[in-house]
This record gives sequence, structure tokens and C-alpha cells, in this order.
Amino acid sequence: MIDSLRPAGRQLLELVPDLGAGWVVLALAPLLVGAVTLLTAGRWPTAPGHTAIRAVSVGAAVVSSLGVAGTALHRPGVELPWIPSLGVWLRLGVDGLSTPLVLLTSVVGVVAVLLHLHVPPPPRPAPLEDEDVAATSPIPLVRSIDVPGLATYHACLLLVLLGALVAFLAGDAILFFVGFELVLVPMWVLVARYGDPGSDREGAAARFLMVTVVGSTLMLVGLLGVATATGTSDLARWAELRGEGIAPGTQAALAAVLLLGLALKVPVFPLHTWLPWVHATAPTAASVLLAAVLLKLGTYGIVRLVVPVVPDGFALWAPLLGGLGVTGVIWAGLACLVETDLKRLIAWSSIAHLGFVVLALAAGTETGLQAALFGNVAHGLVAALLFVVVGGLKHRWGSARLSVARAALREGTPRLGAALVLGMAASMGLPGLAGFWGEIGAVYAAWAPAADRPEGWFRLYAALAAVGGALSVAYGVRVLREVWSGDRAEPRVPDAVRTERLALRLLGALVVLLGVLPVLLLAVTAPAVEAVIGR
Amino acid sequence: MSRTLPGISLPDPSELSWADLQLPSLGIPALPVPDLWGTPAQWAVLVPLLAALAGVTLSGRSNRLAAWIGVAGGLGTLAATVWQLYALALTPGARRTSGTLGALPLGELDAPLGLVVTWPLALIAVTVATVALVVQVYARWYLWYDPRYRTFAATVSLFTAAMLLTVHADDVLLLIVGWEVMGWCSFLLIGHHSTKNAARRAASKALLVTRTADIGFVLGLVILAGGAGTTSITRIVEHWSSSATVPGPSTGLVVAMLLVVVGVAGKSALFPFQDWLPDAMEGPTPASALIHAATMVAAGTVVLTHLFELLAVTDPARLLLAVLASVTVLGAALLAFAQGDLKRLLAWSTVSQVALMLAALAAATPATGPDAAAQHLVAHAWFKALLFLSVGWLGVLVGGTAMALVASGARRYRVLRRRLAWGLLGLAGVPPFVGFFSKELILGAAEVGALTTGGVASVIVLSSVGAAAPLTAAYCMRAWLVLDRRTDAEQLAATYHQGGVERIDDFFDEPVVLHEAEGLERAEAAISSSARLGTTVLMLMTLLGAAVALLPVWRSDVHLNLQLLLVTLLLMLVAAVAVALAARGVRTRDAGARVPANVSIAAERGLGADYAYRLLVATPVLALARAVAWFDAEVLDAWVRGGGAGAHLLGRAGDWLTPRRATPALALVLGAVLVLAGVGVVTR
Repeated sequence: MIDSLRPAGRQLLELVPDLGAGWVVLALAPLLVGAVTLLTAGRWPTAPGHTAIRAVSVGAAVVSSLGVAGTALHRPGVELPWIPSLGVWLRLGVDGLSTPLVLLTSVVGVVAVLLHLHVPPPPRPAPLEDEDVAATSPIPLVRSIDVPGLATYHACLLLVLLGALVAFLAGDAILFFVGFELVLVPMWVLVARYGDPGSDREGAAARFLMVTVVGSTLMLVGLLGVATATGTSDLARWAELRGEGIAPGTQAALAAVLLLGLALKVPVFPLHTWLPWVHATAPTAASVLLAAVLLKLGTYGIVRLVVPVVPDGFALWAPLLGGLGVTGVIWAGLACLVETDLKRLIAWSSIAHLGFVVLALAAGTETGLQAALFGNVAHGLVAALLFVVVGGLKHRWGSARLSVARAALREGTPRLGAALVLGMAASMGLPGLAGFWGEIGAVYAAWAPAADRPEGWFRLYAALAAVGGALSVAYGVRVLREVWSGDRAEPRVPDAVRTERLALRLLGALVVLLGVLPVLLLAVTAPAVEAVIGR
Repeated sequence: MSRTLPGISLPDPSELSWADLQLPSLGIPALPVPDLWGTPAQWAVLVPLLAALAGVTLSGRSNRLAAWIGVAGGLGTLAATVWQLYALALTPGARRTSGTLGALPLGELDAPLGLVVTWPLALIAVTVATVALVVQVYARWYLWYDPRYRTFAATVSLFTAAMLLTVHADDVLLLIVGWEVMGWCSFLLIGHHSTKNAARRAASKALLVTRTADIGFVLGLVILAGGAGTTSITRIVEHWSSSATVPGPSTGLVVAMLLVVVGVAGKSALFPFQDWLPDAMEGPTPASALIHAATMVAAGTVVLTHLFELLAVTDPARLLLAVLASVTVLGAALLAFAQGDLKRLLAWSTVSQVALMLAALAAATPATGPDAAAQHLVAHAWFKALLFLSVGWLGVLVGGTAMALVASGARRYRVLRRRLAWGLLGLAGVPPFVGFFSKELILGAAEVGALTTGGVASVIVLSSVGAAAPLTAAYCMRAWLVLDRRTDAEQLAATYHQGGVERIDDFFDEPVVLHEAEGLERAEAAISSSARLGTTVLMLMTLLGAAVALLPVWRSDVHLNLQLLLVTLLLMLVAAVAVALAARGVRTRDAGARVPANVSIAAERGLGADYAYRLLVATPVLALARAVAWFDAEVLDAWVRGGGAGAHLLGRAGDWLTPRRATPALALVLGAVLVLAGVGVVTR
């Protein structure tokens, strides 16, 4: 039935002109120009208002996303000598592994810059007797206002996007590292400066910095180790060599260092503790980017830098990695059952979903890798959707504590309520939504792992992962029961504003589309997956 | 033994088989049907899916538009399933397959995502589509003023799509898709009145209990697919059947089928998962009718029908299913008798009847096939939907469904009388209603299994089905006696009835006639004509549905034991008479009032199953979760905090050691660096 629609789609895509490397430039240049313009905007004689700043920022993100779309379609490659003495080239291009992720980055990027920034006022101490009662007035502002430092905030968002795109497009290990690092500082600024002053901002920023710096350092050591062993930093060449000429002991060590560095980023249990903190503090847009883009750098790094590059080393650590992944699924699922802050709860659920992704990766089969890549993108969309809703709610409510009685979303704010239902349903792995295929694929992959994996352990992981799926339903039901349904209509808060509606519709449509037609994404990644597993 | 009357040859009663009762095969005329895009199976899933999508996106704030979309979707679905019957009749071999989205490129795993339809599945599909359409029409009346009607209609459409996907799936992935979507839709439908705490709780409970059991379902299907390397059910069955050799089924198959049975037990509310279903009565009546009659709880039967060839060769799984189903059949029938609310009585009867279908599957052997279960599914869909919708209608008229409220309902509202009576007769399995035929088939199949290769499972099922028949008759009789109690006016009239004097001229002065006429008018005015038509269709099918069971498309080699049949009917009669005797002297004619109060209360609370769930599952899991949260915050996070604090301290120390102003020593160091650099440049 679906086959008869394919030629029409193909003909439609053929209408897009091929600009070659122009597409890559179009993808990256607007972000750079936009970020620089906004960074300097504070020093202009008359500082621009919020309308102009937002226009520049959204414009840059939209133009860049067009460039990304073109790049994904035509897959041009850029290859320029950069540091010839070290053999480092400026290689930019996409393949099946990175195409879904650059598209995800640009979609989520547009969503993130669209959202209004609200820096909440420092919290007033509530009278003791009113502690669990939410204030009924005033109704919070949810449209844009002139916030001090708005230009820098948008510049940071654009820089995060730029860094992530560079990392995903990079064909060279050093360039990947540059992109990876480029993301960190603006993200830190977003958390530390624009984060929720009511939370432990210092603690969150310190945790983020600690973890990412340690992670990147370890990764850099690993990358340099592989580059020394192979004599090149070309990622395509690394994948071709498949660890030839690297002694097994060295492979194991390199894989350990790289995996440790990337696991901090993913994050994999037990290195996950920073994520709930950072999410609880970060402004909505930063949470969206953190969940949908930054965490993906970790999983992408594992697929790109570890699985094909040091296959024997990866195989050695895979059982442990899979075990940690599935532990994370259960651990985070349990934590979600008692978490008292809605935003932290969504952060925990992110850890659980990435546990599925890591488990599927560790299984070492094509099915596993396909499931992991699908789960990765699905998690990006679902987490972005949930953070848009929950971030908006946190702003409206003044905090995201679940112990405080609020108006039921279904009664007061049906649009936000519907989005929350969709997001939680996808987060539970409901079929027909994006989250399902990655999770069921992970369970299958763990049940039937590659021949060189210990089958008994992985089967145990599969059973535990299935239990984790039920836990995700339990916490999803908990959230819906406490937040979405109920009979309270007070205190009244405004429903989704236009930008939020746009963002939620875009993400919601993609979540449903990928859930109903998973083949759209699986077909893109399938050839690359064959190459990575290489059997 | 053969007694031959002149001219007529009767078959020997001991040799009577189903084939003797079946209708003759007729040729199907080739109608000029245009060559349509897609297959009927695809359309049967796609139409309700599109209706759900359109209902969510297009209906805006118009209940009217939402109703049109829902009802039109229901009609389209019914048309697709009827077209499928026709197409199947023309297909040699009576088996059609089609694709859906195309194969998924999932690496080593082959995932063709195909659909399949055979006669039992096609008939189930028609039943599902009909019940769904009637429910849509009925819901438009029942939820006329409900602000959430639009969501409800769209959810019903989605529910139908999911059930039809489960029915047609030839792929375990599609099975899981349909299965889980149904669970989710039931959450939304049961929790429809989400401002009510009881509805929220019931909805959460339904989803959590079924999803917990689904751990087994998902794992079992993953194991099946993992062994075969494909998700196609046809190929899975081939693979595992060939691996099940003489010494018995392989361990993998046994584990997988046991897990699947656990999942099915959850969705079909078998013991120990039964308690979510009676609580689901918190949903609006059309939702109950949909969940209980044709979808959701019946899905377990459909899935095991798909996997029947594997189930039949896996004795441990059959035994587990037989034990769970038998316990449920009997226990739920007993609990149904003690309920103080008619709707809850029906809910427990659903638990019992669905367990009966699964018991039939457990008892069946490869020789008898799974048809008895499918036939009971179809039969049950007709009478249970009829009963729920009629009771919902009655509930609207009398303001509730508690036994005290519905007493005399069938007398006060004559239009409901036949509907309720036929529904209860069908449920009890009285000839010639549908329930009789399907239950006889189950008995026949279980008997054949018990006598041949069925083993212990068939024996257990045979005894429990036999024992369940009088129990079912008992609670049906109880319900009917309450419904059919004489109204107060009639009782008064009877008290003062002089007798012997026939008066024909003051017909309309009779208080009874007036009362009845008023009741009829009220009842008819309450409901929309389309919803009433829907219940009429169901009522007719409760009688004529027997013809479906007699179609020559089912397997016909089931042996019928007339003696067993007569004994069963006799037992039912005895039970009914006993109930009637027990009901004498109770004001509402409710035999259930004879049950001691503490037993009755315990039965209404489902014998404390809810408490057991909380004690055995919820409390330990939450305690574990608290421990995890504590450990995470206090132990795992400590190194990150410590690292942060350490870095802070180092920074402080460096800050403290570093002089704040430029000092001569620093100038010397800088100078030395410059000199060194200069030396480097010069000597290069």
C-alpha cells in the first residue's frame, strides 16, 4: 500500500537543487554569524530589543535548518587541509549515521530558539502555613519580555547548535572534538547564568562542568591514542581499518578510555547523577537542547568512535556496558516513581531511555545498532517535547514540585495537557509513537546478541529491560494521574502560547510520524549500520 | 443403535457431530466489485485509524462533527470487514495475506509486518466492527452533553483500529502494537471522567496491571521471534513446530509460551490479574461495552488463536492456561452472583466468560483446533454488548445500576424487556441463543481433548466448564428475577385483584397499563433512535448469531455428546429453580440478598485482590524506589559533589597562594620567559 506513494516522494525530492558544499556552508554559517552578531549586540550604542534579537536568532536557526535539510538530502562532502603538519583535515559531511542526528539537531534547534526566555524572579520565602499551597496570583507572563542578557542567551543557543552540527558533520576526530568542546561553554553559561535561581544553580553548573570536562579529557586521550596507533585522524579511515594493527591490549585500553569519557556524556549508570541536577536548573530551551542534542553526542560518539574503530576492545567491554545500560533503565525507572520534581523526573526518564540505547548498542548486532540509532532520535524528539511542556509548566507554576496541589492540566490547560499525554505515552514506549521501536528493538537485540557476546548475560538484560518498560508505564501513569487528570481548576495558569503550540505541534507530529512509519528513519540508517557492524 | 423412522433417517445421537448441524455450503455469486486500492484487511485497520486521527485533528469544538467522523469511520470499517468476508469466500484456501508498511530494515531480524486473514479471523473482525459501530452510535446519545465526547469518539476509533490490527496481524511486532495501543486506549476510556478519583484510580490500575503482565507477553514474543529470526507469525510457527520433536517441545518454546500465557492472562483478566476488570466499570457504559464485548479482553483469545499450533504442542503452557482459566471461570461466576450492582455483575460475568474462551484454547488439541474459542468470542460479543448497552440505558432511566434501583426495570420499561431477557438467555447459554451453541462447542472440544490426547489440561477444563454452566445460569436467573420483579403498582393491583370479573371497556383506566405505557414512552424518549436501532441489531444477533456459529466455514469435526448436553441443561435448570426459590420472600426478589453480608461485601471488593496487589507489588517496588533514590543522592552523587568541592578548594588554594599584585619576582619570571623565547628564535 505504502509502496505506491514512494515514487511520488522521490520525484518531489528531486526538485531540490544540489548546491554541493554550499549546503554545508548554509547549515553552519548562519549560526556562526548569528551568534557573533548577538554576542556583540550588547556593545552596540542602542541595544536591540527582544523582537530583533529573537528575529535574528530564529532566522539563523531556520536558515541553518534549510541548509541541514539540503545537506542531508544531497550529502555533499567538504575536504580542506586544516593543520597539514598534524594531518588534520577539515572534513565535513554526512552519512547514514549522522543524517538523522543533524536533522534532529536542526529541528530541535529551531524549537529551542523559538521558546521565550523567562528568568524567574528570586523566590520569596512563603509563609510557613502556606507552604504547600500555590499562589493564585498573579498569572505569570508567558510571552517574551526584555530580559537582561537576552542577546547573549540566544547567542549561546546558536553556539550550542553550531558545535553540535560541527560534531555530527565532522569527518575527522579532531574536528569532532572541537565541535564537542564548542558545545560545553555556552551550555555552562546557559545553566549558570540563565538557570532557575530557585534551584541549586551553583551545584548544577559545577556538576555539569566537572562531568563534561572530565569526559572530554578522557575522550581526547582516547582519540589521540587511536590517532597515534592508526597514524591518521580521518574517521572514515578509522572505520575502514576496523582496529587492524592495534594490539588487543591497546584496543581494550583505548575502548575503556573512550567509553568512560562518552558514558559520562550519555550518561550511563553510575555516571548519571549530574543530569537531573542540570535539568532541574537549566532554562527550558537549554533543557531541550541538552536532552535532544548534547546527550546524543555521547551515543553518536560511541557509534562513531568506538564500535567500528576498536571493535575487539568494544566487544570486551560490551557485556559490562549492556549491564550498566539496563541497570540504568531499572534504576532511573524506580527513581521516577518517587521523584518529587517534575522536571527532574523527566530527566530521570531520559536516563532510562538512554539505557535502552546503550543496551542495544552493546548487543553488537545490526538489529541492535538500528534499534539504538532509532531510540536515540526518538528520545531526542520525545524528551524535547516533554521538556517544552514541563519547562513551560515550571514557569507557570513557579516551581515543578509535584507535592504542591495544582490545577489539573486537562481542566485548565488542555493544549499543554494533550502534549504532556502524547509525550508521556511516547515515553512509556507506546506503539504508534516514536519511543516504541527503539525499546522493543533493544529488548530483541539483547535477547539475540552477536555471536561473540555472552548470551546468558544478555538474555538476563533483555528480561530486565522488559521490566524497565513496565516501570516506564508506572511512572508515566503516575505523572498523568498527578498532573494531567484531576478535579482542581485553580490556580489558573495560561495555556500554551503560539510559540509553544508551534513547537509542540512540530515535535508531536514528528513523534507520531516516526512511530507510524519507522521505516523512514530505519531506511536511512540501514546501509551505514551494515558498514559499522561489517559482517 | 440406529433408529430409522419411515422416510426420515435420523443420525445416531451418539455419532452426532457438528457437521450434521452446519448449514450447507452455498456458491457465492461473483459480484462486479471494482478493483480497489489495497486489501480489505488493510482498509479495516486504516479506516478507523484515519477516523481517530481526523477526530483528534479536525473536529475542533464540534461534537456533531466528531460524531459524524466516528460513525462514518465505524461504517467504513464495517464495510471493509464485510467486503473482506466476500473476498475471502472467493479465495481458494480461504486465506489471504497482505503487507502493511513494507518490511522494516532491522538488520538480522526479518520484519515483514504482514497481515493475514482466515475465516475465524474474518468473522471476528466483522463482529468487532459491528460492535464498535453500535458503540459509536450509542455513545453519541449517551455522552451527548459530555464536554469530552470528541476525545471519547476518537479513542473508540483508535481502539477499534488496534483490535482489528491484532486480529489481522501476521507479525508479532504488529501484535504487540495492537495489544499495547488497546491497553492505552482502555486507560483513556476508563479514565474518561477524569475529575472522578475512582475513575482515575481504575484507569491507572487497568493500565498498570495489564502492562505488568505484558512484561511476559513482550518477552515471550521476543523469544519466539529471536529463535526464528523473523517476526512473521507464520514462519515463527513453522520454525518452532519443526523444532518441537518427539521428546517434547524445546525449553525455549515452553518458556516463551508460558510467558505469552501470563501476558494473555493480564489482558484477559485471568486470575491473579482479574481485579482490574470490575474496577473498569468506572468508565462510561459504551466504553465498558467495547472493552468487555469485542475488544481488549477478547484480544488474548485472538493472540492465542494466532499461536494455537505452538500452544497445542506445549503442555506446560496449556496446563498453566487451563488452571488459571478454570479458577477464573468458577471464581468469577461465584463473585458475579454476590455483586450488589448489575453492572459489576456483568463485569464479573465477563471475567468468567473470557476465561471460558481461554479454557477452550487450553483444552483444544491440534485435532480439534481453536475454533470453539473463536466462536465463543463472537457469541459473547453479541450478548455482552447487548447487555451492557441495555443496562446503561436502564441506568439512565432509573438513575443507577445498583440492584435495588434496577428492580422491576424490565417491567417498567417494556422496550428493554426483550433486550435484557435475550441477553441474559444468551449469557446463560439457553437454546436457541448464541451462547448455547458456542458453549456446547467448548464442551465438545474439551471432551474430545480429555478423551484423546489433551491430557490433564482438557480434563480440568471439561470439569470447570461443566461446573460453570449452572453457576452462570444462577447469576443470570438472579439478575432476571430482580429485573422482572412486579412493580409496586402491579403488586398493589394484584393484592386488590378481585378476579372473575372481566372488564373490557376501561382498558386505559387500568393503572398497570397506564404505568406501562408511560414507562415505554419514557424509555423510548430517553434514547436516540439510532442508538436504539443499534441495540436492536445486537438483540437480533444474540438470536440469529447462532447461524454464524453454524456456518460451514468452521471446523466441523467436533463430536457432540448429547448426554452431556442434556445433563448440562438439566443442571442449569436446577440452578435456576434453586435461585428462584431463594429469591422468594425478598422484597427486590434478589437471591443475592441471601448471601451473608460480610461475604457479599468481600465479593464486591473482589476478595481483597486490590489489597494484595498493593501489598505484594506496589509497596515493595516503592520501598525499593525510595532506597534507590536515597542511594543515588547520597552515594553515587557524592563523587561528583566531592569533585566539585575539591576543585573549589584547589582554586581557593591557588588563589590564596597567588599574589594579588605584580611583584618583582613575577617580573623576573616574565623576563626570563621572554629571553628564552628570544634565544629560541635566534638559534633556530
